[in-house]
Amino acid sequence: MAFGDYPIDYNPKAHGPYDPARFYGKPDTPFGQVKVGEIGSWLARRNKSPQAMMGAVSRAYWRWQHKYVQPKKAGIAPFLHVVFGSMAFFYMINYSKLTHHRNYKYH
Amino acid sequence: MLSRAAILSGQTSKSLVASCLRATSTSSLNNQVAKTDDKPTEVGFQRPVRQEPGKVRLGFVPEEWFQFFYKKTGVTGPYTFAFTLSTYLVSKEIYVLEHEYYTGLSLIIMWVYGIKTLGPKLAAYLDKEIDEFEKGWNESREEQKAALSDQIKDEEKNQWSVEGQNVLVEAKRENVALQLEANYRERIIQVYSEVKKRLDYQVEKQNIERRITQKNLVDWVVAKVRSSITPDQEKQNINKCINDLSLLAKA
Repeated sequence: MAFGDYPIDYNPKAHGPYDPARFYGKPDTPFGQVKVGEIGSWLARRNKSPQAMMGAVSRAYWRWQHKYVQPKKAGIAPFLHVVFGSMAFFYMINYSKLTHHRNYKYH
Repeated sequence: MLSRAAILSGQTSKSLVASCLRATSTSSLNNQVAKTDDKPTEVGFQRPVRQEPGKVRLGFVPEEWFQFFYKKTGVTGPYTFAFTLSTYLVSKEIYVLEHEYYTGLSLIIMWVYGIKTLGPKLAAYLDKEIDEFEKGWNESREEQKAALSDQIKDEEKNQWSVEGQNVLVEAKRENVALQLEANYRERIIQVYSEVKKRLDYQVEKQNIERRITQKNLVDWVVAKVRSSITPDQEKQNINKCINDLSLLAKA
């Protein structure tokens, strides 16, 4: 599998047109339905290779795209997502500097 | 790849380029993908359709997050959670209220005002643009469909008129049959009259022949009788006549 190729599990004959937001492998139990005791084994079953992680991020990105950006009558929500997301991100990466602006000694 | 958001961010041109690239790339898998017009065989895999925009509250918070709270805490739960969490974060100064916080606060007020006032107008304008854009793309297809259905209608009309032609041909055939019948009868009459003429001629001819023969026979018999009368007999006859006359005169 080189750069720009489709996932190995994707078979055009069986799956139809490629949907970048879809996972084409064998589906496991959704995380929301995993019982607390089984979380360890669930995590152990995950594929933690860099390709798989990038794939997961890419699928999440495309799911977000399909839901908020690509609809015909999309609203302002995707822009605000980017705005608030970057606010949170930059707050986090600057957090060590921002803590110097604390006003109170005791909490 | 056409959406209000895409028009705003100028993605349409980019996505067009991307789709062109995808359509013209020649890897075998791409070609295979391009060829899958038929339905996916595997169950649960449908051709992806364009979604409706996801529901959000407060302009950007996904509705699903509120639904997640709703089952456990009811309607006010998520708001209560957000309020209490932010109270905790602020009071412990985990979230620091530095100068940027107040900048953000004023920015949010301006954003909300701007979105509330300009948003509906912009949405209406962009909706119009999208509809026009989509119409532009669909127009030729719709026109072609209309032209094709017109052609189908014409074809059906032609077929209908051809059926009319069948009736016409039938009528013509009947007409020709009538003409043939008339001709046949005319000829029969002709034959009849011709035959009658010939027979009449024969009858007339036989009559004439008989008459002539009769006449000839009579002439011949008369001639024979005449020739058989001798002068002696004539003399006797005349004498007899004279005797008769004298007898008559005596009486």
